[in-house]
Amino acid sequence: MNWNFETDNYIIRLPVSDQDGDALYSLLSQQTVVDHIPRAAMTVENQAIDELRRIAMRFEGREAVSWLIERKSDGQLLARIGVQHINWMMLNTQMQWELNPECDLAVLTEVVPAILNVLANDLQLRRVEMRVRAGSVEQKQNLEALSFEHEGSLPSQFEYNGEDVNFDIYSVLLG
Amino acid sequence: MKFTPELEFSGGRVKPLHYDDIDALYELYQHPEIPGQRPLQDKEHLNRMVDYSVQMAATQRGMMWAIEINGEIKGMVSGFDWQPSQLRIMMRVDGLPTLTIEEREKALSVCIDFLVNKYHIRNFGYQWIEGQKEDIKTMLLKMGFDQTATLRDAWRTGEKTFANVAQYHFISSKKKPVPKRLGDGHDDDYSPGQNLNGTSVKGGE
Repeated sequence: MNWNFETDNYIIRLPVSDQDGDALYSLLSQQTVVDHIPRAAMTVENQAIDELRRIAMRFEGREAVSWLIERKSDGQLLARIGVQHINWMMLNTQMQWELNPECDLAVLTEVVPAILNVLANDLQLRRVEMRVRAGSVEQKQNLEALSFEHEGSLPSQFEYNGEDVNFDIYSVLLG
Repeated sequence: MKFTPELEFSGGRVKPLHYDDIDALYELYQHPEIPGQRPLQDKEHLNRMVDYSVQMAATQRGMMWAIEINGEIKGMVSGFDWQPSQLRIMMRVDGLPTLTIEEREKALSVCIDFLVNKYHIRNFGYQWIEGQKEDIKTMLLKMGFDQTATLRDAWRTGEKTFANVAQYHFISSKKKPVPKRLGDGHDDDYSPGQNLNGTSVKGGE
């Protein structure tokens, strides 16, 4: 199976631990990019190196996959999109993304179906869900435009900055 | 070391899993109530489950009780996917066909009360899988759970068949614990994770 693939305008590839630190840090050090998860933005570059190591370990453990989305024309990293908590018994997984401000719906419309295609055809998964902080308007618009269906809300999932975080839950069924 | 307590309720009690109960647990697992689950074949698996039940409770990953009614084991209450730092857990009850909905509710309720008061858990989830008894949903609503989401095809029932899952949550109204410095707070109300046999702990022996 080839984990790296491309669409007309974008390269979708697994990260390389000793090469992608700077680009990943540049993406994940923006608070607006991780607000919907929610998570604090990175503040030192070594966090990106640690993250790349974690990504590699989780991939080898068959529990998660992260792809970097690069624009072919200039090599700019536009997003990280991945799946985690892959449940091989239930054939479902959770998608998560961190999107550069340039990664708009037009980019997602080209990239996400290609990723879902891999999840359906190569990994044989049935259900892909996405959990985002309740009230994330932009995420909701993107997800619904990509045919993810809102299924409800999960209350008080954890505490972040002194507040209980509820998740809106969306999913798409494959196959 | 003891982490899972015996808890009484009117008409029965819940108690930790024990190797002496393997035959009764095996009988329980001959009547799976979750769609797609097959009767257990190998009784030896239950020895490991009893081992795990102790390890899970000790490490705050889960807690399992047998439901005993008139001296007979008629079901199990399980807490799993326990996230201690996030004060949440998923609950599940498995019962023999003879376990009444009232007994199921009382057993689940007494376990939730324990987890609220001992471990300060606030968020209790419960997943009802399409095909389970409808009266379980009524029971959950009566207990204060709310249905918050319907997860499509989230439970696999066969090679290529799936069932929807209705997800319920009960959020305890008890205040969150106030963080203290390590080593402080040896009072009875703040001792999560400690051995129930310890003499300084409420409910200890």
